Amino acid sequence: MLNHVWISLLAIGILTAVGRDIADEINNPYRNGRSLDVIFVASAPASADRSAWQAELTVSGQAFAEFYNEPAPSSPVRQSVRLTIRDEGQRLILTPDAKAPELWLTMAKLGATKGQLLGTITELRWEAGVPAAARVEFEPIRFVKLRAVTQAALDFANTAVEISLGLIGIMALWLGLIKVAEAAGFVALLTRALRPITSWLFPDVPHDHPAVGAMIMNIAANMLGLSNAATPMGLKAMEELNKLNPKAGNATNAMCTFLAINTGGLILIPATAIAVRAASGSANPGIIIGTSIVGAGCATVAGVLAAKLMQRLPMFRVEEERHG
Amino acid sequence: MGDLFRSILNVISVIAIPGLIVVFLGWGFVKKVKVYEVFVEGAKDGFQTAVRIIPYLVAMLFAIGIFRASGAMDVLVTILSPVTSLVGMPAEALPMAFLRPLSGSGSLGLMTEIMKTHGPDSFLGVLVSTMYGSTETTFYVLAVYFGSVNIKNTRHALPAGLVADVFGMIGALVVCRILFGV
Repeated sequence: MLNHVWISLLAIGILTAVGRDIADEINNPYRNGRSLDVIFVASAPASADRSAWQAELTVSGQAFAEFYNEPAPSSPVRQSVRLTIRDEGQRLILTPDAKAPELWLTMAKLGATKGQLLGTITELRWEAGVPAAARVEFEPIRFVKLRAVTQAALDFANTAVEISLGLIGIMALWLGLIKVAEAAGFVALLTRALRPITSWLFPDVPHDHPAVGAMIMNIAANMLGLSNAATPMGLKAMEELNKLNPKAGNATNAMCTFLAINTGGLILIPATAIAVRAASGSANPGIIIGTSIVGAGCATVAGVLAAKLMQRLPMFRVEEERHG
Repeated sequence: MGDLFRSILNVISVIAIPGLIVVFLGWGFVKKVKVYEVFVEGAKDGFQTAVRIIPYLVAMLFAIGIFRASGAMDVLVTILSPVTSLVGMPAEALPMAFLRPLSGSGSLGLMTEIMKTHGPDSFLGVLVSTMYGSTETTFYVLAVYFGSVNIKNTRHALPAGLVADVFGMIGALVVCRILFGV
């Protein structure tokens, strides 16, 4: 199942990216290879060798709208640009400011030089100080989605390592504490108290096994919203459950039920959501406590029942080892 | 009533960790456990466990990253919104339902964005924050938990987790409709 979902995520992602880039080639939303009529006004004296100017570029709202086939901006587009005029060609660098049209900001983000639009100027009729008409062709922008996909693959691979390494300290702290609690008999006490529930949920796990204690601590920590304690406890539980695993590398029924409880995410106080609500100016950020408990309750019950029903399906049976 | 509940839980979340440290170590000390030695013995596994997760998490996150960066989510939402609107799911909240099991940081960003546009106390604002609180990031939990014990054949854990997500989302929608419905 995971194999199929995983390859689907990748295939859908890459095919969508290819499809969107092909659509961009056809619709040409960034107007690659086409020139826009603009007007320049010099805003500062030229450099000593008269090869570089600071100027203001103006495009009327209507011309902009017609060129890009976008809704017309309310006022003419004005941006300051740097012009370089040399023998090999006349070029322009535009660094869009806050007043720039949305599309140019996007294009600047996608371009070869981050935050800048580079362009080639043609048909420039230039007299210093007087508005000069010209045509500008911006650098072509292609394969936006494929490049985004490549970047995402590399970024997320890095993120995965950062997350894992970030766990080392917390893992060590809680695994140490749990070991002490185990040695002191605290975990066994907890296990005995909740035996009626755990023996129904995890019939394959002996009721006094350390795995049960670790699972109880994990679920309790999750409910209280102590996520940085919950993960180490959950991983400890997985390690203990794996000691009962008859076939290494395959999930046991108890593991799947345990994961269903964890992915259900039953939590008494959804602290993150409340914090975001408060930050966006909610009059009553805590209003979602009740609704979240209902939602997470549904998720947890459904997850556990699904795990219990599916564990018998032939497609999820652990394959027998083939000899010879 | 709700406020009392909330302040009790707030107190718990502040004192829980120092409390647990005191209880675990204090209890151990009373029971004559060599607390320092046992602690270090247990903490030793922290490094290996964290490092063991890396390949599993890389596999999971880069696939999710590619899926999200491609904009496939928008396509999916366009295709499915006529179907889900039959059960009363607003089209604006649909991306949340898909993103929540895939990516914790992604759905957090989406929730913030929706609340910024529609207001946190609007029906949509309440709905998406309830959805955020109604389930966990299934794919991440799966990769981390199974990765830590080198389990590659996850059997029915993913479908069970996805069933949990679907019911969590439906539960969130129904309870929000009943309490704050429009």
